[in-house]
Amino acid sequence: MKYQSQSIARLYFIAAIALFIGQILFGVTMGLQYVWGDFLFPAIPFNVARMVHTNLLIVWLLFGFMGAAYYLIPEESERELFAPWLAKLMFWIFLVAGALTILGYLLVPYATLAEMTMDDLLPTMGREFLEQPTITKIGIVIVALAFLFNIGMTILTGRKTVINLVLLTGLTGLAVFFLFAFYVPDNLVLDKYFWWFVVHLWVEGVWELIMASMLAYVLIKVTGVDREVIEKWLYIIIAMALISGLVGTGHHFFWIGTPDYWQWLGSIFSALEPIPFFMMTLFAFNVVNKRRRNHPNKAAVLWALGTAVMAFLGAGVWGFLHTLAPVNFYTHGTQITAAHGHMAFYGAYVMVNLTVISYAMPIIRGKQANNERAQVIEMWSFWLMTVSMVFITLFLTGAGILQVYLQRYSEAPLPFIVVQEKLALFYWLREFAGLVFLVGLILYVYSFFAKGKEVEIVEDLDMKKAVTS
Amino acid sequence: MKQAQHTNEQLKNASNVALASLLNLTLLPVISFIYLLFIYKNTKPGQIDHYHAKLGIKLNLVAFAALFLVSALMILLGGFNSPWTWVYVISYFTIVHTIFIVIAVWALVRAWSGDKLTKN
Ligand code: HEM
Ligand code: HEM
Ligand SMILES: [Fe+2]
Repeated sequence: MKYQSQSIARLYFIAAIALFIGQILFGVTMGLQYVWGDFLFPAIPFNVARMVHTNLLIVWLLFGFMGAAYYLIPEESERELFAPWLAKLMFWIFLVAGALTILGYLLVPYATLAEMTMDDLLPTMGREFLEQPTITKIGIVIVALAFLFNIGMTILTGRKTVINLVLLTGLTGLAVFFLFAFYVPDNLVLDKYFWWFVVHLWVEGVWELIMASMLAYVLIKVTGVDREVIEKWLYIIIAMALISGLVGTGHHFFWIGTPDYWQWLGSIFSALEPIPFFMMTLFAFNVVNKRRRNHPNKAAVLWALGTAVMAFLGAGVWGFLHTLAPVNFYTHGTQITAAHGHMAFYGAYVMVNLTVISYAMPIIRGKQANNERAQVIEMWSFWLMTVSMVFITLFLTGAGILQVYLQRYSEAPLPFIVVQEKLALFYWLREFAGLVFLVGLILYVYSFFAKGKEVEIVEDLDMKKAVTS
Repeated sequence: MKQAQHTNEQLKNASNVALASLLNLTLLPVISFIYLLFIYKNTKPGQIDHYHAKLGIKLNLVAFAALFLVSALMILLGGFNSPWTWVYVISYFTIVHTIFIVIAVWALVRAWSGDKLTKN
């Protein structure tokens, strides 16, 4: 670690992983409730578990992004973080606000939470992923502003690289688009527009910039490939992400009472959205193939390659599957959507965070890479989580196809709930795969503590002394 | 990494055929395959462009069999009007198609660096 203040990332990474565990526990709870409706009722109803599952996901990914930024921005900018104390303060504020919000979801009815937090002054609650009380949302904005100020000042007064500028742009976009969460028009159609301006423009817009720069950073470090090569790729990837993703929002405007032209705009532009994800696969494969060193942290390289492939699979392929209006007409809001949501979030944003954590944590803890046994365990956890996520996706896809056929396509369509009964087998299989995912996650956590033979330390990983193969 | 000896012409050919193989699996089926066969004819055995052309042809033939023949068989055996047929066909087609694409991407970056698909 070149700069002392990079170690602040550790706090953020630990919180991220802790919340990740919580997210998955609620996921498997819900997976069981799907087939055993009364499980944990009335203590944890499905709708509450769902809110906790998705909100924990978003919050831990944000912790991960911030941690990654605090780690890589000082190094890229070649200076200490502008205000380390501010980063620490914001960590605690974010953690406490997040924990209180989750407790609020779990301990009091949602309507009571709205009352307690005086939501009627500026009502913003009740929209999927953005269920947080208004006061929590204001907290998020404050944390985000302080964070942007901190990394922004670090970059502006330090070295500017394509990586830290793309990252800064992505994170600024994240904060700006979040502001739409405060605007909740009465008109339901308009309401949906603004909701998607947050949700879609995050995951299929600015978050792609964050992801691409995080991935590029780790790839430079572990492969030793020239910065210039990587920068060229970054430009094309972010250009493609923005060109396709902005108007691509239209793939959510097909059936919500919006003008018909969205069916054309949404279909055409979102059909291009797989391109940036595809380019990331090509890019990652290319630089790993051209690597000029074999970094001792094999696990980090595996995560980086895995991210590239799984993001293409989950976002690119499974997104394309249902993005054309004539297809989406049948699949809208079915288990196909859930299948895609899971693999895309996991493959892109979960995995890119785990990639940076895998690379950075050992260095923060004072070594180039984890000991061999820890790395083997980490790589096992990679495969368990990734393969089980592929199965979760396949089972939900199977459920979704059957659902579409029986409920919407067949000549004698069956009612929703009758069809759900027929999908029980798929839901059991999904639950089983979810438990395997949980085992993978436990193994992942264990890998941080596993002892073993230390890997050979390469004193200086500069190019001249690098180990080449 | 070792850099094998190839002429620029061979490297260009190798990259082009690897790209054609990828395109045949994605945006431009059939046309790309014809192009692939065409280049293949003009390469000499033992050279990198020949290797990648042959690899592309093999990959696409296997992909064709795995995707279309197997899917057709599923439909034939399962029946066109059974929902379960489509559960299998769509899931199978999507995941297997992607696997072939990912292999073709790896072949492409290997062709760019003048290497064979696997080491040695
Ligand atoms: C990493 C990037 C992505 C993530 C994390 C992601 C995640 C999600 C999630 C969670 C939903 C469900 C939203 C809801 O209704 O609650 C969704 C819906 C959708 N996504 Fe994505 N997505 C990504 C990329 C893409 C791409 C690249 C495409 C198209 C090629 C796409 C196409 C769609 C479509 C069409 C829907 C609407 C499904 C419906 O009508 O029910 N997504 N996405
Ligand atoms: C890192 C792993 C995971 C990620 C990124 C993730 C992400 C998500 C997302 C984005 C949604 C909202 C989907 C939508 O709006 O369409 C969701 C819902 C859900 N997740 Fe997960 N999840 C993960 C793991 C799991 C696991 C392991 C299980 C359980 C086996 C699970 C079970 C569920 C269930 C039952 C829902 C509710 C679906 C519904 O409303 O019908 N998740 N998850
Ligand atoms: Fe979208």
